[in-house]
Amino acid sequence: MENQEVLQKPRVEPSKSTLPQPGRPVPSRAYPGALIVVEGTDGSGKSTQLYLLKRWLEIGGYRLHFTEWNSSPLVKSATRRGKQRRLLTPTTFSLLHAADFADRCERQIMPLLQGDYLVLADRYIYTAFARDAARGCPPRWLRNLYRFAPVPDITFYFRTPLDIAVHRILSGRPKLKYYEAGMDLGMSYDRAESFRLFQARILEEYDKMVDTDNFVVLDGTIPVNKLQKQMRDIVASKIDLKRFAPRIQEAE
Amino acid sequence: MPDQEKEKEKDKDKDRDRDRDKEKSPSAIATELPVATAPPAAIKSASEVEEEASHYFFGEPLVGFDPAEITGTLVVIEGMDGSGRSTQITLLQEWLESEGFAVQTSGLRRSNLVGSDIDQLLAKNAVTRLTLALMYATDFFDQVEHRILPALRSGTVVLADRFIFTLIARGVVRGINRDYMTGLYAMALRPHLTFWLNVRPETAFGREFKKSQAISYWEAGRDMSLSHDLYWSFIRYQTMIKREFEVMAKRNSFIELDGEASVASVNKQLRQRIGEQLGIRATKYTPSSALAHLWR
Repeated sequence: MENQEVLQKPRVEPSKSTLPQPGRPVPSRAYPGALIVVEGTDGSGKSTQLYLLKRWLEIGGYRLHFTEWNSSPLVKSATRRGKQRRLLTPTTFSLLHAADFADRCERQIMPLLQGDYLVLADRYIYTAFARDAARGCPPRWLRNLYRFAPVPDITFYFRTPLDIAVHRILSGRPKLKYYEAGMDLGMSYDRAESFRLFQARILEEYDKMVDTDNFVVLDGTIPVNKLQKQMRDIVASKIDLKRFAPRIQEAE
Repeated sequence: MPDQEKEKEKDKDKDRDRDRDKEKSPSAIATELPVATAPPAAIKSASEVEEEASHYFFGEPLVGFDPAEITGTLVVIEGMDGSGRSTQITLLQEWLESEGFAVQTSGLRRSNLVGSDIDQLLAKNAVTRLTLALMYATDFFDQVEHRILPALRSGTVVLADRFIFTLIARGVVRGINRDYMTGLYAMALRPHLTFWLNVRPETAFGREFKKSQAISYWEAGRDMSLSHDLYWSFIRYQTMIKREFEVMAKRNSFIELDGEASVASVNKQLRQRIGEQLGIRATKYTPSSALAHLWR
């Protein structure tokens, strides 16, 4: 009963904005929402698993929002132009994606976290850390670039052996795109081979972050439903899901 | 809230604090990597590389950059709208070309990659400060890599109409952390000469108004809700920018020139300093008839 009263109390707008200063680490009490993130190389199975997690939470009626990497219309035209004309260098590739992420962060992720939502993100800043570091960007510069991003409550890292992940992508996608295959790095003239070498570098970068960034490592090779069970258990144990359940209507 | 839940919240706080501490110290992350595994010789060469890089960059070296290739000269002209930057650059280009130097210019929003996208964002003014700051950074580095560096590799004099300093100042006055902004431009090339044409905002206002019979939304910092009056918004915004410039002037050895002096006198000072840098002895110059109208 006491719990219900708490839920019914309308939240008061704080006198001072709780929005973090861009470029500063987000304070732990800046927002009531929770952020769940999935990371991993292409073909690691993370998107499938996040989709299933989302369905589970949606069916349960929880307040949630789903967001994915590279989805802001704002910088889409620039990214497309840069890729088509191959204008992008490691530095501008990284900056353009950071601009895209900043837009999503300031206009979706932060407001939703402040509005007490559960936010699910398919790929997050760690994708940029892994991919851009694999392209040769200085790690310190990259860390600074994304300093405005709120730290996730859970970061799932789907670790799948290189051969399996690469096979999943190559068998499903007939033609790899230039940047996707890491052709800009000039490691190989063969797209599939270049992709493999690029993914190996990315995997190496991801592995470096397991401890420093508190990744929850999941084995991407076990059956989908078993993996999903693990994921749901971890979410239920780490996040107080009750808080995101449908609000109880006040009795008249 | 029941005690149990409070406990849980506390735990969560601790977790977040721990994460935050990690996020807070990017230097700690960087130092973790090489020291443990690399042999002493490798460490020495790494620090040498860094030292050499700091001669060319503000912090980190740009990916794929070789300092040995640089034979040109980078000259930056900074100053607020209406400080006379573009007039001076037009004149300097003619002078340098008459002296036999190849000249390349650069400026904000001129990149092929995102120049036009930023124009659109500004026109719609539906963009948040951080996104805009990062789009400007993209525009800047695209020009560094595709325009400025190729020119410097071929011994050209690059005249930059504004540089990272304007971009840093604009971010900082909008509440973006100063360290963040300087970190963003850590890979920017360090100019050989940086001139700051300093004018009072009141003077700049008059000049800008005369030029286009209006003051633009962004020039007046209207996105910052400083004042409903266009004039006061402009003055307040440009004063804030100017204060940031004063902070940066000392750290980055700006050559400060009085932008309110006559075009001819400012140009003479510019020619003297640039002449010293390039080894041009006689710096006499009068503009051609095509540019005579600028020589007030």
